[in-house]
Amino acid sequence: MSQASLAKEISPIARFWAEFRESKVAVAALVVVVLMLGVAIFAPLVAPQNPYDLANLVLTDARRPPGYVGFGGYTHILGTDAQGRDLFSAILYGLRISLQMGLIAGSLAFIVGVTLGIGAAYLGGRREAFIMRVIDLQLAFPAILLALVLSALLGQGKTQLIAALAAAQYAYFARTAHGAASAERGKDYVEAVLSTPLPGWRVVLKHIFPNCLPPLIVVATVQVANAIALEATLSFLGVGLPVTEPSLGMLISNGFQYMLSGRYWISIYPGIALILLIVAINLVGDRIRDQVNPRLKR
Amino acid sequence: MLGHVLIRLLQALVVMLVMSALVFIGVYAIGNPIDVLIGPDVSQDIRLDTIARYGLDQPLWRQYLTFLGRILHGDFGRSFVFGMPVLELILSRLPATLELTLAAVCGAALIGIPAGIYAGYRPDGLAAKAIMTISILGFSVPTFWIGLVLIIAFAVELQWLPAGGRGETVAILSVEWSFLTLNGVSHLLLPAANLAFFKLALMTRLARAGTREAMLSDTVKFARAAGLSEWTVLRRHVLRLIAIPLVTVFGLEFASTLAFAVVTETIFSWPGIGKLIIDSITSLDRPVMVAYLMLVSFVFIMINFLVDLAYVGLDPRLRRAGSR
Amino acid sequence: MTDAPLLEVTDLATHFETRAGVVKAVDGVSFSLARGEVMGLVGESGSGKSITGFSIIGLIDPPGRIVSGSVRLEGRELVGLPAAELRAIRGKAISMVFQDPMMTLNPMLTIGAQIGLSLEAHEKVSGAEKRRRAIAALAQVRIPEPDSKIDFYPHQFSGGMRQRVAIAIALLHRPKLIICDEPTTALDVSIQAEILAEMKELVAELGTALIWISHDLATVASIADHVCVMRHGKLVETGPVLQVLTRPQHSYTQALLDALPSRAKPGTLLARGAGTDAAPPPRLARRPEPARAGAGAHHVVVEHVGKRFQHKAGVLRLLVQKAGLARPLPLVQAVDDVSLSLARGEALGLVGESGSGKSTLGRMVAGIYAPDSGQVRLDGEPVMSAGERPHKTTTRIQTIFQDPFASLNPRMRIGDGIAEGPLAHGLVTRAEAPAYVAQWLAAVGLDPTFAGRYPHQFSGGQRQRVAIARALAMQPDVVVCDEPVASLDVSIQAQIINLLIRLRQELGLTLLFISHDLSVVRHLCDRVAIMHRGRIVESGLAGAVYDNPKDAYTKRLLAAVPVLPVAT
Repeated sequence: MSQASLAKEISPIARFWAEFRESKVAVAALVVVVLMLGVAIFAPLVAPQNPYDLANLVLTDARRPPGYVGFGGYTHILGTDAQGRDLFSAILYGLRISLQMGLIAGSLAFIVGVTLGIGAAYLGGRREAFIMRVIDLQLAFPAILLALVLSALLGQGKTQLIAALAAAQYAYFARTAHGAASAERGKDYVEAVLSTPLPGWRVVLKHIFPNCLPPLIVVATVQVANAIALEATLSFLGVGLPVTEPSLGMLISNGFQYMLSGRYWISIYPGIALILLIVAINLVGDRIRDQVNPRLKR
Repeated sequence: MLGHVLIRLLQALVVMLVMSALVFIGVYAIGNPIDVLIGPDVSQDIRLDTIARYGLDQPLWRQYLTFLGRILHGDFGRSFVFGMPVLELILSRLPATLELTLAAVCGAALIGIPAGIYAGYRPDGLAAKAIMTISILGFSVPTFWIGLVLIIAFAVELQWLPAGGRGETVAILSVEWSFLTLNGVSHLLLPAANLAFFKLALMTRLARAGTREAMLSDTVKFARAAGLSEWTVLRRHVLRLIAIPLVTVFGLEFASTLAFAVVTETIFSWPGIGKLIIDSITSLDRPVMVAYLMLVSFVFIMINFLVDLAYVGLDPRLRRAGSR
Repeated sequence: MTDAPLLEVTDLATHFETRAGVVKAVDGVSFSLARGEVMGLVGESGSGKSITGFSIIGLIDPPGRIVSGSVRLEGRELVGLPAAELRAIRGKAISMVFQDPMMTLNPMLTIGAQIGLSLEAHEKVSGAEKRRRAIAALAQVRIPEPDSKIDFYPHQFSGGMRQRVAIAIALLHRPKLIICDEPTTALDVSIQAEILAEMKELVAELGTALIWISHDLATVASIADHVCVMRHGKLVETGPVLQVLTRPQHSYTQALLDALPSRAKPGTLLARGAGTDAAPPPRLARRPEPARAGAGAHHVVVEHVGKRFQHKAGVLRLLVQKAGLARPLPLVQAVDDVSLSLARGEALGLVGESGSGKSTLGRMVAGIYAPDSGQVRLDGEPVMSAGERPHKTTTRIQTIFQDPFASLNPRMRIGDGIAEGPLAHGLVTRAEAPAYVAQWLAAVGLDPTFAGRYPHQFSGGQRQRVAIARALAMQPDVVVCDEPVASLDVSIQAQIINLLIRLRQELGLTLLFISHDLSVVRHLCDRVAIMHRGRIVESGLAGAVYDNPKDAYTKRLLAAVPVLPVAT
């Protein structure tokens, strides 16, 4: 490396972004994620109708195809659902609930899993062996089954479902964090600060944790996408959110019964929104995965 | 070698015990089972009598031991809903699910692995990019939604394939199988494709990642420098190098597909255990839930055990008299 | 036609199109090679020597590309040849041996199967014939009991044996040319000596021409007839080995030679890399000089220290072992009852081959590992005794590691990394830290304004300077150096050696210098201890041990080091 490259500070994050930007697909996917996040947050402002305001509901407008001009001259660009709600608005609100579930459950799983994984790697010995055994045991069990049984046992509700999703997913974070932290712990720079010596909490927070982040970010993107898909699946199966929280999965489920009668839009459009979101998140995650895989670096 | 197998078997046994305890606590200790067994309006006498009869007045550990003892005799209790022994109920539904799962996983492996190897071999080619795009879709699109689309496309619009059920079956050793009749196969095709989609994406990606790494390795470079043809390099070197992760995923995915069948069976009205568990969850049919969870745990642990043995067969570094 | 050269490379240029622009890895290289000739291709990392080798056999992966020039083998142009025709030449007329034998052989296939595949690549052979030929190939490279070893897997072989297998595969079709890319760099010096000798004999016997690519002038000198010196993708000097190494014409060749510690008087600054670095900051008031425990007293004492590494066995495994159904997991005795001592201000060199336990011993001295038995003491206070946490004493011992790419936290500005330890232990206040860091950066020859940069913005040599600054900023009395120059190019190595010599003098440091490189240790250290299989087999004043070794292992080790020819 020449002196020229020292001309200005390049933080690892700036370098990461410069590399990320090279993939146009990934940048487009990121834009989609940010956009969807934006419309989800500001759904009440963006949506043409508040679909859950009973004053807006006109039963004669129910199950109308896309483009139908409803009561009050309003055009339902994606049609209406079984209750006569504007589907486009319902999708925006559904997106909001789906994203909320995915992000909260994902964050919770991240915090619990990473604490356990890095903690185990740092502590070592029998405590490490015990924690990782439990995690491995859980990983051998499919997440969907765990979430299914937990949400059935805990009952329906937002909090219960978040708990079930997080419980089904934290183990992936724990395994990844443990693997990364074990690798970092064996590296010279950690041995150097251990020999300085620095206090243990400082070594973990300042040295080990930041360097475990790249693989964890990959897992986080995948798991948020998975949490959203899982929530949709559970809601579709009728053991997810209560009817008062119409997520995208619930919208799809509601439309399922009209599908065979040709009113495909009630189910298909929320599905497309869901897939767009998950595909975009996964594309971003995929790019980051390729970037952080040292074995593909030449 | 013998020691290794023995250790693994013992481990599997311990894990099975832990699972049974977890399932027991999870399903039986949460909520009051007595409320499920009898209505709220029965007299106090009957209530106490029922509690005593089901041993619910015993301490938890004693209840667990009783539960364990019954399971060892193959007694999982009676289904509240169907009123028949749970084991019998599950065994009658199991072949349908096994058939579906096997078809899905084998199909996914047969298509996914070659596609993945190709995409990893020529990562910058157009075909590789197409394969990867499809695999991202398969990875992202929820199984239930694909099921819906498959039904609309092939059952409703094109009317090529039936939308649900098992179709005609042939009994072998008093077990019914669909794949032996043309009609059965036509019923199997859509649900299997639905279930396979996610696995297909997973195996493609795994095979691609492994191949990509292997192609950059010194082993492959050295083989090329010795003048080996690309085909030989792929077949003899790369395939061996990526075999272990593929076998692992094949095994684990088989087990998790068994669980994922829940969704597909619901959509396609496939009369397997997945449909059964969803019904029992919604009706809180606890004996069925317990038996199902124990069965899935058992299958999981057995597959883990077999995968572990397969490692020893595949990786010469593990073969040395079982010392790891 | 008989005088025509075997290989003629003309104006060869191989470029890589990377993110940062086009890298001209090989930039107009021309040379020729006669039948049976042995040519050394020497250069530092990034000089393009390996890429030249890969260009000759047409194995350049994208984004690399041969952009111009020609490679002629017996007059036949190889550049631009269709893939199938090139493949027919690879392994048959030209073959190649790679650097790391741990990576080149497929761990999943037996040695016999891998040799068989290479045989089939160019010949139709029956099963029995294949086996016979494979056994003969192993016998040719002196692998004992070839008829049973053929069914072994690579992991059952040592590094040296694996490299012999790779050579056997390369020789299989009696090629006209073998290209060896740093074939002994990953091996211990005694194995290197064996392979060098065998290779020399084999090519002479078979009449095969050889291109020996290496960063090490001494190994090239001991095998090659001719040598080409490469720098920045160009050949700077070519000629007969003796002439180039004793009367170099090009200043770069001279510089390479001058940077070698083996050619300088021990303890002196090396000609290359003499810097005008600033003086290190004075001893901090908060870190007072410890009371001198009498001149000549033992400063660092290592007493009967031992360390074992064992795979952890679970309860189940122990049960099965008890029942006699499984063997216990192997136990590795890394360090076995080692005692040594260092006087204040002394530099002790700890020499050994890989697996000798020298790094483990160094980490126990530095308080990174706790010894299983015995004790390490600094001025009478324990650093860390069996099973304990590090003592306060540990702050007075700091470590410099081998790999400068691994020893700095990639996500921390180097200034923060240097200040971290002193701040945590109250040696400096937050207000003083920036000035203190700047002084240290200047002292190790870096621009003080670099404090805000991240490690990835520095070269290997610069990173090693940062690592030295970080260790010394703790104002230690003792510094453990674990192969600090092993992964650096020779000219950078010379700079770091000079820096260490200078700082040691100015700060009165006590050094434990761990290395596999006998010449570096001789140059830097007053005393030397030779480690072999966890034990110290010989120790004494450096001059005495080198000139008059007593122990059999030491003798073998010294004899295995290749020597440069000296101008007469």
